[in-house]
Amino acid sequence: MAEEPQKPSKTNNTTPVAAPVRHVGRKGFLPITTNLWDRFFIGGVLLVAIHLLWLRFIEFYLPLPIATVISLILMYVIMRWG
Amino acid sequence: MRATRVGWGLLAPTLIILGFVGVVPFLYVVYVGFFDWDIFAAKVGMVFAGVNNYRRLVFDSEYLAALGRTLQFMIWVVASELLLGFGLAQLLAKNFWGRSVFRTIHALPLVVAPIAVGATWRLFTIPGFGPLPYYLDKWFGIEYSISRYASHAFTTIVLMDIWHWTPFVTLTLVAGLTALPREPFEQALVDGANRWQVFRYLTLPLLTPVLVTTTFIRIMDALRVVDEVWMLTGGGPGTSTRFVGLHIWLVVFPKTAYGYGAAMSLLTLYFTIVLSWLLFIAITQSGKQTAS
Repeated sequence: MAEEPQKPSKTNNTTPVAAPVRHVGRKGFLPITTNLWDRFFIGGVLLVAIHLLWLRFIEFYLPLPIATVISLILMYVIMRWG
Repeated sequence: MRATRVGWGLLAPTLIILGFVGVVPFLYVVYVGFFDWDIFAAKVGMVFAGVNNYRRLVFDSEYLAALGRTLQFMIWVVASELLLGFGLAQLLAKNFWGRSVFRTIHALPLVVAPIAVGATWRLFTIPGFGPLPYYLDKWFGIEYSISRYASHAFTTIVLMDIWHWTPFVTLTLVAGLTALPREPFEQALVDGANRWQVFRYLTLPLLTPVLVTTTFIRIMDALRVVDEVWMLTGGGPGTSTRFVGLHIWLVVFPKTAYGYGAAMSLLTLYFTIVLSWLLFIAITQSGKQTAS
């Protein structure tokens, strides 16, 4: 008597684990290829740098919130077109 | 969906531990950085100060000088350790008589605690007691004193760090070199490439990930050096070897300026991250340009 072909068991019929996605990024006006996280990081680094430089050199003439506004605009520009 | 849930479930213990020992303390330091908090101040407890700590910090010449000194130290030790480590790794990747013994002896400084390294070097170099100043004076007429001359103290700390950490660079690069595939090297030899071309176009690009990782580890270690320096010179003579980690420690503990210390720690962390990121971009992007 011929054996019946084994049916695939339900336990083995699970969705395979997806391979890790490689974020290759894109090239905007920044000189390097970046993904969204990279641009957020660059924006954050510049935000801190602008605030520190403002505190050191410009706060005597202009208040700090202006630096915050400039940094946030710059951060948006980098994340959108960087 | 089930696989995702299982994945998150398996990751959960690590994430929880990392959250408690990494993220929560970091956020607390960020929080403390916006407060004046000195247990010996007239006003007990934390007083909100806004960005005053950072305002004070960007004008703090002692902190900025310590930061500059630390960068100088970092450049010297990381460059020297990479060059020496790479040379020794090339040597240890080859087969020669006594290789295992040499490798073991070479790796010994790694197992010594930094505080013990500092103490040993202090006994070795302290004027009037250590053999190094005695013999330098006796044989060469050189007056060597780490407690009198700033340049001597700085050079000694650089040498001590190189002695302590070059084995780490060597071992990681040996591991990297021995893991390289053989085929490209054999093909290059068949194609008539000379040793320099093999090194420049094969060994170096293939070893880049290991080199980058090792460089980052060493940069971060060098930027937060404290215990060895504290033991050897205590930051002196004057403030010539007061690196940023030691400076923060002196502000936070003996002076109990916790808020200001938190601000200093965060700014140092910021510089470390920016520096590492710039280096990473420089190395990886130049690699891409070479490849294309």
